[in-house]
Amino acid sequence: MENQNSQPHQINDSDIDPDLHKKVTEVLGNIRRLKAKAYRGFYIIAIFMVVSIGAVRDFDFLPSFSPHIRAILGRPPSSNMISAALMLYSFSAIILVLSRMMSASTHYSGIAHVGYLAGFYFFYHFSGALNENFLAVFAAGITILGLESYHIWTFCMEEIKREEESLEDLSNVYRKKRWIKG
Amino acid sequence: MFKTITARAIVPVALAVTGFVIVCCILLYSLMKTDMINDAVHYETNLADTIIKSTHYAMLKSDREMLSNIIDNVGAQQGVEHVRIFNKKGLIMFSQNHKEINRLVDKKTAGCIGCHTGPVPTSSLGVMQQARRFKNERGIEVLAITAPVYNEPACYNADCHFHTAGQKVLGTLDIGLSAAPLLKTLSLMRSRMMVFSVMVLILTIGGVSALLRRNVFVPLQEIKEFTAKVSRGNLDAELPGITGELTDLANDVRDVSLKLKRAGQELEVLRDGQKTLNKKATTEADSP
Repeated sequence: MENQNSQPHQINDSDIDPDLHKKVTEVLGNIRRLKAKAYRGFYIIAIFMVVSIGAVRDFDFLPSFSPHIRAILGRPPSSNMISAALMLYSFSAIILVLSRMMSASTHYSGIAHVGYLAGFYFFYHFSGALNENFLAVFAAGITILGLESYHIWTFCMEEIKREEESLEDLSNVYRKKRWIKG
Repeated sequence: MFKTITARAIVPVALAVTGFVIVCCILLYSLMKTDMINDAVHYETNLADTIIKSTHYAMLKSDREMLSNIIDNVGAQQGVEHVRIFNKKGLIMFSQNHKEINRLVDKKTAGCIGCHTGPVPTSSLGVMQQARRFKNERGIEVLAITAPVYNEPACYNADCHFHTAGQKVLGTLDIGLSAAPLLKTLSLMRSRMMVFSVMVLILTIGGVSALLRRNVFVPLQEIKEFTAKVSRGNLDAELPGITGELTDLANDVRDVSLKLKRAGQELEVLRDGQKTLNKKATTEADSP
């Protein structure tokens, strides 16, 4: 990290090799991109927290559906069915995240999970069982999004370390060239 | 975030297992709670039906004294918080609490509003819709149900009565039982589930950690220390016995260090030989 902050200023010189400059710019761009990706998990958790605050209040700030729309939507599924679906979803999502960790995949589906979890909140809300089951959805969300964020964070940090090492190598090349030039 | 291999291996497993066990426990608790409340409501509905059937004959005979006596006896039962019968207008006719007799019931309270939301009250509701939970004036949680007393041919054909055949509901029985035993059972169940979850978590995470430490982390640490010694030039360092899949790695490291040691010894021998040859050559050159 320290290298990344200090090296670009040393290398950004007028007599630098254009290829070297291009490579340094590319590495710095990669580091910036990886840093942004590493923090994405925290933003997604923050969005989930906002949705959960709405769920704690039983979505009282949203306008309720008219009886006509409720009739069109039909009867909500029973809370038992929603609970069974939530358990299956949590299990499969955790397995998928763990398998992505094993294969070092960069795929991140945090925002989709927030959508699914918000769907569970809404289904429980319409079946009138949100108060009893809020904690279950919340715990499932924290677990899945926590694992996703942890995975993407550790992956990005490793990549940043590699990029910093290559930046260090480029810096050494630059120093040698400058020394040769006198 | 976590630099050691131990933390990287254990944290995701601990997070996944803890989260999933918590989700399952909450869902299981919620399901069991719903089932227990449904059972309690069914029990209360049966009790209300029993009371209505017990008072049926007294109602037909318009024997108010007998009816009052039955209500008093039911109300004296342990766990019964209230029992009352009110007519179609909401006027309390019989109650175990004699002070509320001849008072009107508020139709907007829980238990009444279910039927009295519209201009025409509903004459039949499902079992769960008849049930309500609230805290009474003594602060006790009560699970109460209202059971309608329906009109029958025997009622509107009896000489002493004035009900018309068109009147569907004659009155309502309202009975409330203390929910304290139910809440106590739920609390006990919650504590047991928490203890069970903690035990499962300790066993799972502890077991995984212990096995990983024994089979992976300790051998890796030993290999790391061994290679560090070799890289510092200590080729005599011994690698302790390692079992499992890391044996191949350990053997390779051991072979490399031994080959390095042998190469060093051979180099030393060659250097000594060279020195001897040089010495010999110098001696021969110096001699006349």
